[in-house]
Amino acid sequence: MYKELKNLDYFCKMGFPEDLSIDLATSISKLSLRNPTILASGILGSSCSLLKRIEDAGAGALTTKTITKNPREGYVNPVFVDLGYGYLNAIGLRNPGADNFSKELSKAKKNIQIPIITSIGGSSIEEFMYVAERMLESGSDALEINLSCPHVEGYGLDIGSDIKLTQQIIKQLKSISSKPLFAKISLHQSRIDILEKYIDAGLDGISAINTVKALAINIKALSPILSNIVGGLSGPCIKPIALAVVYEIYREFPDIPIIGVGGIQSPEDAVEMILVGASAVGIGSAIVRKDLEIFREITRGIGKFMLENGFKSIRELIGYIHRR
Amino acid sequence: MNNRSSMNKPLNDEAGSIQLPRQTQSRYILGEVYSIRQLTPSIKEYTIKLEEEINPNPGQFAMLWIPNIGEIPLSFADYSTGTVKFIICRVGFVTTYIHRNILVGSRVFLRGPLGNGFTLCSLKNCLLIGGGYGLAPLYYLGRILAMNNCRLKTLLGFKNSSDVFYVSEFSEISDTYISTEDGEEGFKGTVVDMVRKILAEETFDIVYVCGREQMLMKVVKECSAKGMKTEASLERIIKCGVGLCGSCSVEPLGLRVCRDGPVFDGRLLLKLEDPLKNNREEICIKN
Ligand SMILES: Cc1cc2nc3c(=O)[nH]c(=O)nc-3n(C[C@H](O)[C@H](O)[C@H](O)COP(=O)(O)OP(=O)(O)OC[C@H]3O[C@@H](n4cnc5c(N)ncnc54)[C@H](O)[C@@H]3O)c2cc1C
Ligand SMILES: Cc1cc2nc3c(=O)[nH]c(=O)nc-3n(C[C@H](O)[C@H](O)[C@H](O)COP(=O)(O)O)c2cc1C
Ligand code: FES
Repeated sequence: MYKELKNLDYFCKMGFPEDLSIDLATSISKLSLRNPTILASGILGSSCSLLKRIEDAGAGALTTKTITKNPREGYVNPVFVDLGYGYLNAIGLRNPGADNFSKELSKAKKNIQIPIITSIGGSSIEEFMYVAERMLESGSDALEINLSCPHVEGYGLDIGSDIKLTQQIIKQLKSISSKPLFAKISLHQSRIDILEKYIDAGLDGISAINTVKALAINIKALSPILSNIVGGLSGPCIKPIALAVVYEIYREFPDIPIIGVGGIQSPEDAVEMILVGASAVGIGSAIVRKDLEIFREITRGIGKFMLENGFKSIRELIGYIHRR
Repeated sequence: MNNRSSMNKPLNDEAGSIQLPRQTQSRYILGEVYSIRQLTPSIKEYTIKLEEEINPNPGQFAMLWIPNIGEIPLSFADYSTGTVKFIICRVGFVTTYIHRNILVGSRVFLRGPLGNGFTLCSLKNCLLIGGGYGLAPLYYLGRILAMNNCRLKTLLGFKNSSDVFYVSEFSEISDTYISTEDGEEGFKGTVVDMVRKILAEETFDIVYVCGREQMLMKVVKECSAKGMKTEASLERIIKCGVGLCGSCSVEPLGLRVCRDGPVFDGRLLLKLEDPLKNNREEICIKN
């Protein structure tokens, strides 16, 4: 039975009121976050009420589900597999479409105080522009272009693999708004020479990583499990991959803020991600095991780590291992 | 189906209600169909033997996967030592496939139990209200409550006499009444009419409801107005089943059917603005 509807203590005493010298606030580009936890894209981010619940659960910022121009039903079930060591999904970018979602976003902007990053998807420059315009009209604090969803033809990875097209998308989006523009990339696009082109085109930050293309078979059924056959791998098993990607991006572009995503399940995982260079951490699959309490658990745990190890501000931790 | 070891003993605590630890798991378990009963023209009961024990709580659900066809959420209609019962109403692609092609001996796969079930209690005065395939979770619940020495009254609503099923099953564990809209059997009218009549004469410690959303909301309103505690099981489109994707959100509350529910406290549901035009019995395909 679901008992506790909402935890209303807004700032949720999540810092360390007894030790005000610990500063958990961080920033990515122009966004200021009360703490470094961000809801990852595609996780519960498709309605105002769900986003509000994550704010109440203590997140520092929110990323919406990837929004496309038209509504998408997504794939038929099964769309999700629990592998034990990680998760596989092929939801198929199920989302209400730009026009419907812009109403939700306007509502969310009235009810939610933490920054909202809208993830936008498209199969053409026109589609990206259409969605971006709707989202900016509705007050989105930043945009994240999805260059990396591994299981929808013509979207995500298919766009992100076309370097010229992606550069154009970035340039055009930057020309219509001064709001921060991030790109969500996967392992497959983590090449430094490619990222350099995107940064030159105007990108303000990078979310890394999206799920890794993967497949699961059930031998008793003699069949792949996902209806789409291939999907994206997330959860604990991709953390070391995400750490390496974030490490290399920070090493090459120390001034570009990074949202480190992939396999973060505990405060320790989050600290690792920040040490290799992330300014904030995205949280997704961890909700399966820990539910919404994960946001508070991670923020508290980072604070405890800082206290025990003599750090006063999260900024001292970001990319720490590069300065040893 | 009556030996659920952890549930056999009457359970007692001060408040008379028991909250079981939430057990969920989302790996597939292999099952083999052991028997099938046609209950009505559009509803069949499937008894499935599983490779391992799962111990669901009443009100929890499972995702039933038929390889190459699809995967659907189903409430546990009963469970005992590795044997599960589902009551499946034919409404669309997957359920039609199941009715036509899943036979005794067929292999199916199940992930669950998922979600949060009903609050169990002992020695209480309980009312169960259901319609159509909403009877499924109520039967398993009723059986456990009866074992816990609760006094049960059950009200079951059906469209007409050809839709009636599970009355003898419920009668074994509970004082059972049925309604049909055409009055061919039992009380003439809807289950909500019958509820109004009963509530004018009796009160209950807790009322459990499962069925079409409009019916369920009316019952919750009636009971809440009289100060009775209610719990209701809701439906939305389930995709991930584990609280990650947001597909099953009950708006405008942002409650996830698959994770926060499917069973919710009636007081929360009173805040629903616009109950989904929901199915349960209405969208069943008749032969
Ligand atoms: C927690 C839970 C428990 C359930 N328990 C049972 C049960 O014990 N017995 C049983 O027969 N059914 C149960 N259902 C409903 C069952 O899952 C759906 O009827 C089934 O998924 C339909 O699949 P289909 O492919 O046959 O229909 P589709 O071809 O997918 O759809 C047919 C029609 O039904 C609608 N529909 C499908 N699923 C849902 C849904 N979840 N909510 C509202 N409308 C829907 C569709 O929009 C469409 O109009 C339960 C659903 C939930 C969420
Ligand atoms: C169910 C599910 C849906 C997702 N949908 C999206 C999406 O729409 N857009 C996107 O950029 N990433 C999406 N992702 C990827 C996540 O944002 C994240 O990058 C990935 O899951 C790795 O983080 P994690 O291990 O913490 O889950 C999705 C992931 C999952 C599990
Ligand atoms: S079905 Fe994905 S959150 Fe409930």
